[in-house]
Amino acid sequence: MSDFLVFEGVSKRYGETQAVDSVTFSINRGEIFSLLGPSGCGKTTLLRCCAGFEDPDSGRIILDGKDITGLPPHRRKVNTVFQNYALFPHLSIRENIAFGPRTAGWTRGETDKEVSRMLELIQMEEYADRKVTEISGGQKQRIAIARALINRPQVLLLDEPLAALDLKLRQRMLVELDSIHDEVGITFVYVTHDQGEAMGISDRIAAMNLGHIEQIGTPAEIYEAPRSSFVAAFIGDTNFFDGTVTEVMDGSYCRLRIDGFPDVLAWNDKGLQVNNAVHLSLRPEKFNISREQPDALPNRNVVQGTVEDIIYLGSHTKYWVRVEDYRLGIHHQHSRYLLDTRPITWNEKVWISWFADDSYMMERYKPEDENLLVLPDMEVEEEVLPV
Amino acid sequence: MKRSRVPFFTTITVLVFFYLPLIVLSINSFNDSRYGGPWKGFTFRWYVRLFHDPQIWHALKNTLLIAVSATLVSMMIGTLAAFALHRYRSRLQMVHYGMIYSPLIVPDILMGMSLLLFFVALKVKLGLFTIFIAHVTFCLSYVTMVVLSRLQDFDFSLIEAAQDLGANGWTAFRRILLPLIMPGIAAGGLLAFTLSLDDFVITFFVSGPGSTTLPIHIYSMMKHGAPAVINALSVILLLITFVLVSASRTMREKTE
Amino acid sequence: MTTAADKKNREWLITGPSLIWLLLFFVIPTLIVFAIAFKPSTPFGGIGAGWTLTTLFDLSNPNYPAIIWRTVWISLVSTIICLLLAVPCGYCIARARRRSRNILLMLVIVPFWTNFLIRIFAWKVLLHPEGLLKQALVFLHLCSPDATLLYNSAAVLLVIIYTYLPFAILPIYAAAEKFDYSLIEASRDLGATRFRSFTHVFLPGISRGVWTAALMVFIPALGAYVIPDIVGGPAGEMIGNKIAQRTFVDRNLPHASALAALLTLAVMIPLMITLVRNRLPETDHRKKGKRIVE
Repeated sequence: MSDFLVFEGVSKRYGETQAVDSVTFSINRGEIFSLLGPSGCGKTTLLRCCAGFEDPDSGRIILDGKDITGLPPHRRKVNTVFQNYALFPHLSIRENIAFGPRTAGWTRGETDKEVSRMLELIQMEEYADRKVTEISGGQKQRIAIARALINRPQVLLLDEPLAALDLKLRQRMLVELDSIHDEVGITFVYVTHDQGEAMGISDRIAAMNLGHIEQIGTPAEIYEAPRSSFVAAFIGDTNFFDGTVTEVMDGSYCRLRIDGFPDVLAWNDKGLQVNNAVHLSLRPEKFNISREQPDALPNRNVVQGTVEDIIYLGSHTKYWVRVEDYRLGIHHQHSRYLLDTRPITWNEKVWISWFADDSYMMERYKPEDENLLVLPDMEVEEEVLPV
Repeated sequence: MKRSRVPFFTTITVLVFFYLPLIVLSINSFNDSRYGGPWKGFTFRWYVRLFHDPQIWHALKNTLLIAVSATLVSMMIGTLAAFALHRYRSRLQMVHYGMIYSPLIVPDILMGMSLLLFFVALKVKLGLFTIFIAHVTFCLSYVTMVVLSRLQDFDFSLIEAAQDLGANGWTAFRRILLPLIMPGIAAGGLLAFTLSLDDFVITFFVSGPGSTTLPIHIYSMMKHGAPAVINALSVILLLITFVLVSASRTMREKTE
Repeated sequence: MTTAADKKNREWLITGPSLIWLLLFFVIPTLIVFAIAFKPSTPFGGIGAGWTLTTLFDLSNPNYPAIIWRTVWISLVSTIICLLLAVPCGYCIARARRRSRNILLMLVIVPFWTNFLIRIFAWKVLLHPEGLLKQALVFLHLCSPDATLLYNSAAVLLVIIYTYLPFAILPIYAAAEKFDYSLIEASRDLGATRFRSFTHVFLPGISRGVWTAALMVFIPALGAYVIPDIVGGPAGEMIGNKIAQRTFVDRNLPHASALAALLTLAVMIPLMITLVRNRLPETDHRKKGKRIVE
């Protein structure tokens, strides 16, 4: 089952840039595996190496026990759904889908049967004889998938397949892709820079940065237990703290001293010792914000701050709260917005609390990655603009 | 926002400027007066005389012979050149590009003059063959440029898609690249064909006895009388141009 | 896997035909012209032995400077007038609705494709002493019955403009079509007058098209031969006529070559200016594009 598609020490360099730097990982048969990262992280290069459009400078790619490195694209049981779809403009939809079978020399009967089956799968029977230029983006997307799947590949590669679609269509196509995957059951390798897509569709995600894989795991693992500050910041919002361990307590907790912030209690799953430096991530939804002081609990941190900014987002509200030198981003869900209590407003003194178990310790990102990080502060400002 | 009307009126004026001489010429072709001027009655005389002029038919035969052969040869060489320029990024291609580009710029008279000296130096007899060589030389650059611009617009992920779907290099070329580039090659060929039909200056320098082409014949008629027959010939050529231009435009709209 | 040598071979294979053809029939002939310019001429229409500069010095013969000067001013003035007409035309066509745009384009393209000799001939008919234009002008008392419209520099200028105007309109139209007209709205919004938006936003935006158009008129005008030959007469002669005369009438090939070499150099100057102007911003854009892609 496992180790169906294996990348072994794959490297690729373009001139000065090391696009992929000795990457090793494996993908299981039948799973949807995402390569997630910012542009230039090497995810597309890995995909192109797998499809055969690029040859890695070193390393091997093994599919189902066979080394496919160096095989030309047309000799691989791997098909690609291209970012811009790359549908052949001079062929009809039916001819586009039939391209692979015809090239492979299937009989006419078998080709026709399979094309009809594919058209049915993507629910586009009535469009079969249209030209590619006469259909919408979402339909092109489906044709591109059908054109690839008809060749019965062992692996389907999807290169940012939803990037050209608008938000609502993207969400619908994501569900559709998932159901197509359920139907055909082959391995999907999905390249995207959109964390929402990756989280929504993948069985496992590889978070990539600067030609390296930072972490591989299920969506929940990646989100809840990011291994590096890059992963924590790229996938979802977070608040970072730098501190030093001042006291190790039994029950896997430790106390941290943070410059410009009250002492905090944190879950010590890394087995740190006194005086160890710590990088801590706290997701905005882990906080509780209230006007009244919450009850003290042994594993609960409670601090006081002042509300500086509020962004109402419908399903939840984002607060920016000043606590000493830090500006915390906090998500507050409201199940009963107006009926609850009077909403918290600007310049109010509020209590912030969170459980020590909800923070997460990790490696600090290297300084050279800093410009690639989507810092929480900046992201909020972007979200304000459209309103 | 109010737009200025100056561009519109300029355009109208320019179009009148473009067509007035041609319209006067066309009307005159039915004028029963030898030198144009005042209207002396309607006639088809000039057309009849035109069709009975054996020299015109001979010149037309030469012109078509050269245009067809020069077009075919320049299409082949030009398409190859465009592929080379598009595919490779070497110093050789920089030189190659310079050589393809220069004939587009150099005035006709220089090209004609230099080819004449070349043929004289090599003691090649001037005639249809030297005209053919000259025409391929200037058509070549135009074909290359047209095909090259199509190649630059071509989305090469289509080739990757074909390979991904199992096509080898040759199949991808034959089934995807060639059909999609073909309109470009055809457009280049059409351009070459018209340029060859039209060329006077270069042909004038490298033609010899018996190799009179239609433009050369028109020129000698212009120099030595018979203006009314040229009027008639002009109208026919104008009509052909009109039909060709609209055909090529509808063809292009269809492919787009 | 293909080796580097294979790749090199294949490159030579598809580059070869055009490279050899142009080397043989374009580069070498051009070099011959330059070489013969340094040869003496013989009185019997041949090329003398040895090398000399006398042919080049002969170009200062009082006859030539006048013709060279006339060639340059006719070319410059016709270029300027063509641009003045072509910019509004290109703008108008680019801004027209789809249907009328196609018709307008077609109307510009037809003269572009029409036989060059016929278009010149049409003017000869029109300007002829018995021609319509002359008659109309006399009728309107705009010129005297014995004024000649034909066989002077003005006639040459007029026909050069007529012949090359479509070549100027098309590149300007192509540039104007790609121009982002919300920039004009933005400049108007920021307080620019219509004229200022035109000169400070639109013209810089289509500058490449304008340069190409200028080149498309100026260079062929410098080398014009048929137009002055047919409507110019001796009063409207240009360098092109002299080259043809020396070649066909006097059989003085060294002289013809010297003039041709001079013309080639004259063509190179505007060409180089345009290449430098047009190349620089392009490479800049390319770099920017690359950065975005990366």
